[in-house]
Amino acid sequence: MRKILPLFLFLFLIFAIAVVISSISAYDVSAPGTEEQKSSIMVTGYQVNPEVLMRNDIGTITVTVKNMETSKSVNIKDARILSRNLKVLSDSYFNIGRLGPGESLKLTFTIKATCPDGIYYPRILVEGEDAQNIRYSFPVTVDSSSLTIGVKNVPDEIFKGERARIELVVGNPRQNTITGVKIVTEGREVIPSEVFIGTLSPDDSKTASFNFTPQAKGTHILNFKLEFKNGDDHHYTELSVPLNVTESKKSAELILTGIEVESMPEQNVYKITGDVNNAGLEEAKSVVMKVGDAEGIEAMHPYKSYFVGLLSPDDFSSFELNVKVGENETQVPLVIEYKDEDGNMFSKTEYISIERHQGTTSSGELPPGSMIVVLVVIAILVIGAIAYSWKRR
Amino acid sequence: MLEVLTNPNSFFEARKKGEESLRIPVIIVLISGIIGGISAFLSSSMMMEAMTKTLPPEVRGFISFMPIGAAIGAVIASFVIWLIIAAIFFGISALFKGEGRFKRTLEFVGYGYIPTIIGGLISAVLVYNFVTTVQIPAITDPAEITEVITSLMKSPMMLLSSAIGILFMLWSANIWVFGLKHARNLSTENALITVAIPVAAYILFSVYQTVVM
Repeated sequence: MRKILPLFLFLFLIFAIAVVISSISAYDVSAPGTEEQKSSIMVTGYQVNPEVLMRNDIGTITVTVKNMETSKSVNIKDARILSRNLKVLSDSYFNIGRLGPGESLKLTFTIKATCPDGIYYPRILVEGEDAQNIRYSFPVTVDSSSLTIGVKNVPDEIFKGERARIELVVGNPRQNTITGVKIVTEGREVIPSEVFIGTLSPDDSKTASFNFTPQAKGTHILNFKLEFKNGDDHHYTELSVPLNVTESKKSAELILTGIEVESMPEQNVYKITGDVNNAGLEEAKSVVMKVGDAEGIEAMHPYKSYFVGLLSPDDFSSFELNVKVGENETQVPLVIEYKDEDGNMFSKTEYISIERHQGTTSSGELPPGSMIVVLVVIAILVIGAIAYSWKRR
Repeated sequence: MLEVLTNPNSFFEARKKGEESLRIPVIIVLISGIIGGISAFLSSSMMMEAMTKTLPPEVRGFISFMPIGAAIGAVIASFVIWLIIAAIFFGISALFKGEGRFKRTLEFVGYGYIPTIIGGLISAVLVYNFVTTVQIPAITDPAEITEVITSLMKSPMMLLSSAIGILFMLWSANIWVFGLKHARNLSTENALITVAIPVAAYILFSVYQTVVM
């Protein structure tokens, strides 16, 4: 008996060690995609969406479990995902039910990539009541690389008031397809304000064009925002494009000369005439002279505006405008509108001074002092003549 | 002839001895009327320009004759007024038991128009200067006609013209005093009263019209 007891203890110890080793091995990170034991159920596939997660992205893992038996159903008790790096947001499946012979079951889990970039191997555990448990590991890639956006083409020189075409290129250096790609800008002088690109495949690129028409010279910084979706998660990246805007050296330059302001018979109505000259090196098309909007200023018929038309370089044309000027106004804004060859509209405002006449009696009158002198002289003459006649009677 | 301006008493005393003749007085009144007509032509031209836009086109042709009509009317009016003044003087002097024919009164009153020729010339120059240089607003609303014409008539130049006219009217009145004295055989005081009543009424009315209205 004394010899049998140590042997029994030895065998019990060996059995216990074997049980412990067996249980530990169920949680061991072994080679992925390999089944350790033959089972009547097996994992036949898995799908990660999005295929490649960015850090802090929320995605789904869908695992397909299939009953490999041909005539026997299997009762699946529970299924869960285990991972040290990825955060599993969804609950485990319990008491899933019976899976008929040859039938498949898709189990979906929600995960969040809280980990740094890398490849991780979460493990799914499926326990069957009348089948052996299966453990299956699969790779999940976390890559935080963003889409790239850059300037593809921009004019060497950008001129004030002229339209400049700016081309941006968006690239996808990621391993998965990105959806909902669009470029948004809030610049008032940029059209369109948004370009939708849509889906962008891995290692693919697409171009978006914007028209920039600056109204002032100097340095302009155009801010573009590239927005996209990786799965259901929104991401964006920004691009700032500094542009230097200068005055065009060749553009039309319209100036006014020979301005004359003539008072019209109507009260406070003036006729403004003059010449509009093109001192630039390019043609000014569809030139129109107008009276600008201002308080107390009203354009009048017959020349509320004056169409000059085409004005070639070094050419000029006369114009005429009628305007009613309020009592307190002393200046009239004249607006010169014209277009360049591309149809871009330009506008320039010049102010013309109005010499105010004092109502109906301003001109042609003797100064008050002179009037009194004339009256007094005549009065003296008449009184003198009367007095003289009475003296001589 | 200048004696009528400087010593009317002596002039009419000598003239009374001659035959009654209206030839020279008619010429004097005619000249005075022509000069008054020139002023009327200028004034009505200015008013017509202001009123043109308030009238329909078919009436504008008709109204273009207004200045000429005003000039002719002024000439005719000067003769009519001559007769009226002489009649008034004749009537008032009758209250003072004045004697003498109406023709003589008419003749002597006509001589009294000489100062109005001088005053008319000065007024015509002033009116011409005013009319040719003034900014005349075009009236589109008939309701504005009175307002604009009143503002034109009350301009300093037109007021000066009126004042000069009154001064020369006083000079004429002085001549008429001596004219009536001899034409109607009145005392100097009675002749003065006879002339002063209508002339004062006329001057007061003119001043009232110019200042108040």
